[in-house]
Amino acid sequence: MTGIDDTAVVIAFWVMAVVTIGSALMVATVHDLIHAVLFLILSFVGIAGLYITLSADFVAMVQILIYAGAISVLMLFSILLTPRSARDNAGVSYSAPIASVAILVAVVLIYAGLSTDWAYASNGFTSTAREIGNALLDPYALPFEVASVLLVVAMVGAIVLVRPTHEAGGTPLGEGEQF
Amino acid sequence: MTELRTPPYVVNIGPQHPSTHGVFRVKATLDGERIIDAEMVLGYLHRSMEKLAEERTFTQNIPFTDRMDYLAAMTGNLGYCLAVEKLAGIEVPERAQYLRVIFAELQRIASHCMANGTFVNDCGAWQTPLMYMFRERERILDLFEMTCGARLTTNYMRIGGVSFDVPDEFYPAVNSLMAEMPDRIAEYEGLTLDNEILLARARDIGVLRPDVAINSSATGPLLRGSGIAWDVRKADPYCVYDRMEFDIPIGRNGDCFDRFIVRMEEMRQSVRIIKQALEQLPAGPVNVPLPLALKPPPGEAYARIESPKGELGFYLVSDGGPTPYRWHVRSPSYINLTVLKDMVVGLSIADAIVSLGSIDINVGEIDR
Amino acid sequence: MAPLLNWYDFDPFHDLYHWLDKHVESWVVYLVAAVIGSAGILTFVGLGALVNVWLERRLIGRIQVRRGPNRVGPFGLVQPVADAIKLIQKEVLQPDAADSRLFNLPPIIVFIPAMLTFAVFAWAPDLVLANLDAGVLYLLAISSITALAIFIAGWSSNNKYALLGAMRVIAMMISYEVPMVMCFLAPVLLAGTMSVAGLVQWQQHHFLLAAFVPMSVLIYGLSATAELNRTPADIAEAESEIVAGYHTEYSGMKFGLFYAVELINSLAVSGIMASLFFGGWWLFGVEKVIPAWIIFILKIYFFYFGLIWLRGTLPRFRIDQLMGLAWKMLLPLALINVAVIATEVLIWQEADLGGWVLAPYAVVNIALTAALVVVFFRIVTARFYRLPTRVILVRDIQVPALPAPASSALRPPTPLPQ
Repeated sequence: MTGIDDTAVVIAFWVMAVVTIGSALMVATVHDLIHAVLFLILSFVGIAGLYITLSADFVAMVQILIYAGAISVLMLFSILLTPRSARDNAGVSYSAPIASVAILVAVVLIYAGLSTDWAYASNGFTSTAREIGNALLDPYALPFEVASVLLVVAMVGAIVLVRPTHEAGGTPLGEGEQF
Repeated sequence: MTELRTPPYVVNIGPQHPSTHGVFRVKATLDGERIIDAEMVLGYLHRSMEKLAEERTFTQNIPFTDRMDYLAAMTGNLGYCLAVEKLAGIEVPERAQYLRVIFAELQRIASHCMANGTFVNDCGAWQTPLMYMFRERERILDLFEMTCGARLTTNYMRIGGVSFDVPDEFYPAVNSLMAEMPDRIAEYEGLTLDNEILLARARDIGVLRPDVAINSSATGPLLRGSGIAWDVRKADPYCVYDRMEFDIPIGRNGDCFDRFIVRMEEMRQSVRIIKQALEQLPAGPVNVPLPLALKPPPGEAYARIESPKGELGFYLVSDGGPTPYRWHVRSPSYINLTVLKDMVVGLSIADAIVSLGSIDINVGEIDR
Repeated sequence: MAPLLNWYDFDPFHDLYHWLDKHVESWVVYLVAAVIGSAGILTFVGLGALVNVWLERRLIGRIQVRRGPNRVGPFGLVQPVADAIKLIQKEVLQPDAADSRLFNLPPIIVFIPAMLTFAVFAWAPDLVLANLDAGVLYLLAISSITALAIFIAGWSSNNKYALLGAMRVIAMMISYEVPMVMCFLAPVLLAGTMSVAGLVQWQQHHFLLAAFVPMSVLIYGLSATAELNRTPADIAEAESEIVAGYHTEYSGMKFGLFYAVELINSLAVSGIMASLFFGGWWLFGVEKVIPAWIIFILKIYFFYFGLIWLRGTLPRFRIDQLMGLAWKMLLPLALINVAVIATEVLIWQEADLGGWVLAPYAVVNIALTAALVVVFFRIVTARFYRLPTRVILVRDIQVPALPAPASSALRPPTPLPQ
């Protein structure tokens, strides 16, 4: 099978890296906020591609399913709820300090990434899904449960937020019946 | 916690819209998906018929009535001719009266086929029940073409009778149609009535309370769906309806589904009436000879009939000349439409379209 | 009769790959195989779209007591070509205020997931373009991109109706992804693998998964029609309400692409249904006589016929009824399904029973599915049956004596603008 040093994987890595970082830069610089979110989606897809070059197929699929499929929709909806006038991305006042902080963080991360001695996983397992599943239920069971509780709390909170108050009266669709 | 509110926005339903049954516009103010105000804008199809009629003789005005409610031309003709006959004191021969009843009821079946079919189409069934109902409507329109030459704008009734007698091939055609019609209506009911999706879309939607219906002069299936048994054919019989035996279907709840089933049942009752009329059809002349320009004595007359859409009334004022001094039409769709805002506020657009479809308007009649 | 397998099997490709493997690097072989496989899939998808246009229009016509198109060519077979030519030569209108860079993207973006779905299907025992280990998850991930494309289409049209349609579609698609993901858990648990080819192989050794997880089949059927935006769940393009929804402003071949993608997605969904639940290319040994990929394609079209049938017969749900259906009916059913199947698999593996235990599992699951569906159905539709669906027949007129209204029952008239 293909190893990580094969020509094709290297080409794929560079293509994905350019796409990811390029669209991330566009997110910060493009004017319209909706365009920014769309570039963010592109960078999510690029990250999924990077996962695939690392043979982490399960994580790549989940990345697309969750990030590009659901979280980006969340961001789009929240942008649509802001008034049209506040949607200009270019009118940010603290762009210079924020940019310098971002560059500092990037430098630190790159240095940390390059100088760490990464442990390579053994090539024995064939199904990453099975490994992740075992990991979630055995060593990492507590974080898994905590994450589930967090999701339930978020869902309940969302329902509470959008429930109509008693002054507004009735169901969101008036006399039309719900299922 | 601040309330998250978005401003209401105005959406135009129509005038170019596949479901407004004609050119007709509703300016709906929406809050999310819920309608909080609906303002109707009419007049896109105004052809000033009432004014034009003042310059034409009474007989020349009959084609106007075809084109008002263009889906129920026979009943439009009938109402107008009754008004002129009332004004001029003309006696209509028996055979003509029976023929008038037969064709009015055939037109009622055709119009209800269209109304119910488009109603289910508005609920979303991609024209399937509509095509089934159009099968029978086509046969009825063939009968019309056989008799008077036109399918839609029939111009059949004349002052003092009808224009042509029925040809010989009419009888077997109408007899076979009436023999099959109850099975077909049962087929339509089997296709639609127990469908849960249709029930979910139409039950408890657009409810019209009986007192609101009476107060806003609603007539026709709109009134009968709310549970009020009122039919002009029984309350104020014209032609030979007093010799016919038929029932009035009424609904229980006043919602869209009740109007739908009232129209279905009315089709069955029309079949009954046509069968009785065919049995009792006497021989004789089909119209009376009239002067070329009929000059009724000065006065006024109001004649009303039960058209498929409601009570269709014609108010005529004559000043002794060959043309009417004033011609006004009480069109059922126009009066029935006044309850739309009441029915629609609080529902979503989908429900509003379904409610509009269930009122069964015809914009030609509203705008004239 | 000599089996057809010898004529149409794909051994020449295997020989080509083995020959290439000796001469070039492995990734070049991979690339060549990918290109050939993609060309095959594109051929199927292109022909499938054409066939589907014709099939859909003829079948819907037949359901509606009329013939479908029969003028263009014998039996109207050239109709799809005529449609394509018509769409291509139409004037492409773009609203002035539409975001022009974003306006042209959605027809392309929405096409990509439709085609990518076919990559994981197992067309024959040894004919898979990409035998992903996480094949089922890949299918779900791909389908969530379609929702994004539809949103971009609706938003960039700068049209209230289009935006309304796009919002409805997004809400609906996200809602229906949840039961869909859950209902895929059940066959994956039983078979122990997430790869689509692996699921088909499991069914080859045991039996059709539809017998073991009938609830998943039902849930997937309904969720898939919602994801496809087909009737009874086609609020996105509810012609009678919001004209054409998110593709109102698209004309010409852009609209043609949306339409074609809907058909291709229908094929993809039918393919998923056929592979995951109904055996894919396996049909009780018939695949030794008829080539397996022909069996698979026939199964795909069988389920596509079911989709067309649903479209021709049923009216449309309202948006809140659809969401209620997803969250209040399908999600609990899916959760119960997963719980039951997980318990059964646990018993099967912990007690180390043989394969015979699957038969009573099938019986239990089918009975449980039937019971649950009936119970939920009764609960949900009880409200519609509280009033009879027939009229009252009255012999003579009677106007009820209503009390005088306390106030004017009609609303006050809207104030005129000043």
